[in-house]
Amino acid sequence: MSEGWLALLQQAFRLLLSFDPDVWSIINVSFSVSFAALFITLIPSIMLGFFLAFTHFPGRWIVTNLIQTLQSIPTVVIGLLVYLLLTRNGAMGDLKWLFSQNGMIFGQMLICAPVLVALSQAAFASVDRRAWETSRTLGANWLMAIWTVCRELRVALLLAIVAAFSRILTEVGCSMMVGGNIMNVTRNIPTAIALETSKGDFAQAIALGLVLLILALVLNFALGSLRGKALPRSH
Amino acid sequence: MSLSVAPQMKAAVEATDLVMQFDDRRLFSAQKLRFVEGDVIYLQGDNGSGKSTLMKLLAGLISPSHGRVICQGFSQPAWWQAASLLGKAVYLHQHPYLFDGTVKYNLTYGLSTRKSRTKALQQRLEQAINMAQLADLLQHSASDLSGGERQRLAIARAWICQPKLLMLDEPISNMDKHSQKLVLAMINQLKMEGTGLLISSHQTCGLTALCQQHWHIKDQIIHTSQHVPNLDTQQDNSVMGSHYVIAK
Repeated sequence: MSEGWLALLQQAFRLLLSFDPDVWSIINVSFSVSFAALFITLIPSIMLGFFLAFTHFPGRWIVTNLIQTLQSIPTVVIGLLVYLLLTRNGAMGDLKWLFSQNGMIFGQMLICAPVLVALSQAAFASVDRRAWETSRTLGANWLMAIWTVCRELRVALLLAIVAAFSRILTEVGCSMMVGGNIMNVTRNIPTAIALETSKGDFAQAIALGLVLLILALVLNFALGSLRGKALPRSH
Repeated sequence: MSLSVAPQMKAAVEATDLVMQFDDRRLFSAQKLRFVEGDVIYLQGDNGSGKSTLMKLLAGLISPSHGRVICQGFSQPAWWQAASLLGKAVYLHQHPYLFDGTVKYNLTYGLSTRKSRTKALQQRLEQAINMAQLADLLQHSASDLSGGERQRLAIARAWICQPKLLMLDEPISNMDKHSQKLVLAMINQLKMEGTGLLISSHQTCGLTALCQQHWHIKDQIIHTSQHVPNLDTQQDNSVMGSHYVIAK
């Protein structure tokens, strides 16, 4: 049994290190789609998080609760919603994004945004208000003051970004439904792992799983080091 | 709040029919307050009387419950910028906030908000470093500074910006005599340059001796007078004495 596992691991490493075109195409799709979704949603989501934390308007708690609810919606439900929107007779059917990377990016944006908004809102709510006040009173315009506050919160915001990225990189439901798991087009790491496992081809599934594991390790160590540098501040 | 601009007019912040309350609790009210460039005002009041809130109001950081606050004599904002009180009168917190970074980063923060960094500003930066005696600490993290050094850094940071109006909230509280001397020198320099100063304190201090006007928050009303009460400055004289170092 253990020899079988060892052989599978060896095979998985061989696939990765020999730059197997199929495996690396899947990795490429995964990262390009998820980075695009993160890139598009990043600034608007952080701005919305800031707005929700720093302003008071009627119904703010409804918006906050709504975003927190969206965070916990299963990705397969979001996949279903996006599928219905992108299907030929759907509201966005004319875009012809179903079973394309654009459709996957759109779906992942809907998954990523609530995580980013909720976590950045929590970060902004925890910041010392004097940071904003000092920046503004020293003559910074609102954009520069937001940048200053973001700089003060860089570790918390990086954590939010990593959490959002992890969620979209590892989600299966939406990518499977909207992307359709088409090789070299929409097959990403999670959908490929699901497919290869169902086929009994564990080597490729393990190789792809290793990529996610290595990424998780690198990100966690990098964040741990950042957290260590951001010592508690005395005011 | 609104902004009106008149050329050759002294910079001023004016509050009329001012009322500040939190829920049902009235903090203070005032019919008219005028803080003009060149004025040096001592703001007196007990703890919790609303001194910091008044300063934040005049700085545009918060809005009054009733009444309006306008500024005059400041440069007109660009067409795409909203007219705002913010950034007109600089407000210094009682416990100043220092940004995460080095002492130098904090000192130059105000300069980074300016469109151009002239030679004169660079010279002023060097002057501030000398006056606040921060030369040896420039590359240190601001979070490593002692209470007095933090206060000196915060005042130097505002000093560099050469504000037309500066509000200091208990600026030399919990400061040793050496730091007090340095801060007093910087503030006196600003006074000589014509900066309007609003200095709050619930006790007499060396700075109150500089003041020519008196605002007193008492019984939820802000009383203003041109006369500064005879304050006990014995303690302060030991700090001030002949120690003003007026940098040139």
